[in-house]
Amino acid sequence: MKDLLGCVMDIGEQMLLCGAEVHRVEDSVKRMCTALGAAQVDIFIITSSMVATVQIDDDTTYTQSRRVENVGTDIEKLHKLNNLSRAICKKPMTATEIQTELSNISLTTKRYPFWIECISYAIIAGSFTLFFGGNWIEALLSLLIGALIRFVVSLTENMLGNKILAKCLCSFSASALAFLCLRIGWVDSVDMIIVGNIMTLIPGIGLTNAVRDLFTGDSIAGLLRSIEAVLVALAIAAGYFLFIFLTGGVDA
Amino acid sequence: MTTNEIIQIVTAFIGSLGFAILFNVRGIKLLIASLGGFLAWLLFVLLGYLSVHNEPIRYFIVAAAVSLYAEIMARIFRTPTTTFIITALIPLIPGSSLYYTMAYAFDSDMARFIEKGIYTLELAVALALGILAIGAVMQVVNTLHAVKKK
Repeated sequence: MKDLLGCVMDIGEQMLLCGAEVHRVEDSVKRMCTALGAAQVDIFIITSSMVATVQIDDDTTYTQSRRVENVGTDIEKLHKLNNLSRAICKKPMTATEIQTELSNISLTTKRYPFWIECISYAIIAGSFTLFFGGNWIEALLSLLIGALIRFVVSLTENMLGNKILAKCLCSFSASALAFLCLRIGWVDSVDMIIVGNIMTLIPGIGLTNAVRDLFTGDSIAGLLRSIEAVLVALAIAAGYFLFIFLTGGVDA
Repeated sequence: MTTNEIIQIVTAFIGSLGFAILFNVRGIKLLIASLGGFLAWLLFVLLGYLSVHNEPIRYFIVAAAVSLYAEIMARIFRTPTTTFIITALIPLIPGSSLYYTMAYAFDSDMARFIEKGIYTLELAVALALGILAIGAVMQVVNTLHAVKKK
């Protein structure tokens, strides 16, 4: 059971890393532990840490905790982990079986290649420029800037290792490129280009999950996520302010 | 429907598709997820024609409808609800009001900053309430389902 608990914790940790809500992870871990033969399960999970204690019989209990860092979003992996946890609940597996399945999932789940992510950033920025009322020229420029921002994102995230500072620099570069277009005279206003590019940076998933976590009673996790989302939004604003402040607003 | 509204509905679809790719959604789910963004904005526009002109209320209704869509699709495809909810809500993120809020703040245009800021907050709250309304309904459904099983 000791090894099994470790495996279950691994699954839970991976689910959190893929962007699952706390409620779902707690529920999955609890069900798996019960299915694997625990008499009592006590779990406490927030977005950055998890603790689980299982009681097998009167004098055997095990406790494990995990520190969870670098939460991202990987829906495909989450889907597979969810299936694995359902399978375990239906038909209990041994620790080695779970380990094999887990490493299988990690090996077979691929992300989209970098160039497709660049295109995604480009089409998000371009389409939201149009969406909020920009014209075709603004949309085209926003498209190009979006693709460039993807490079800035990977550069800053690898070099800084700090999500909030990275977002600030991304928003700084987006504003700089938009004002450059204005200076050259391709567009009359930077507003729509910046709005389109802000959409790629905004923590939409953070806010949605925050609301869902708050409602299901995971108040601490929900608050943590909300604060993070607000901080990221402020960082985006700060990047924009920093550019205007440094250049005094480039007038056309 | 005006050209502007058609452009918005199409770009809502493309924008959601872009986010679905970034979130590593794959296969048929990619289409279902981006379709959510499309339906969200279609409903938003249609509500305007049904003379619901109060934007926060429109946001609330659309957010609730989208959450319901996500819950149903998640059950059909046996996958976490997150998959569909985060992508379908993308067009509702008040990106432009957020931008204007900070632009006014920088111009020290306090009256418009406060007006826009409160408006952005209203939209965000409407969005959250929409998600919560369906969350509450689903919790009741799940509880009833569990009771039935026993």
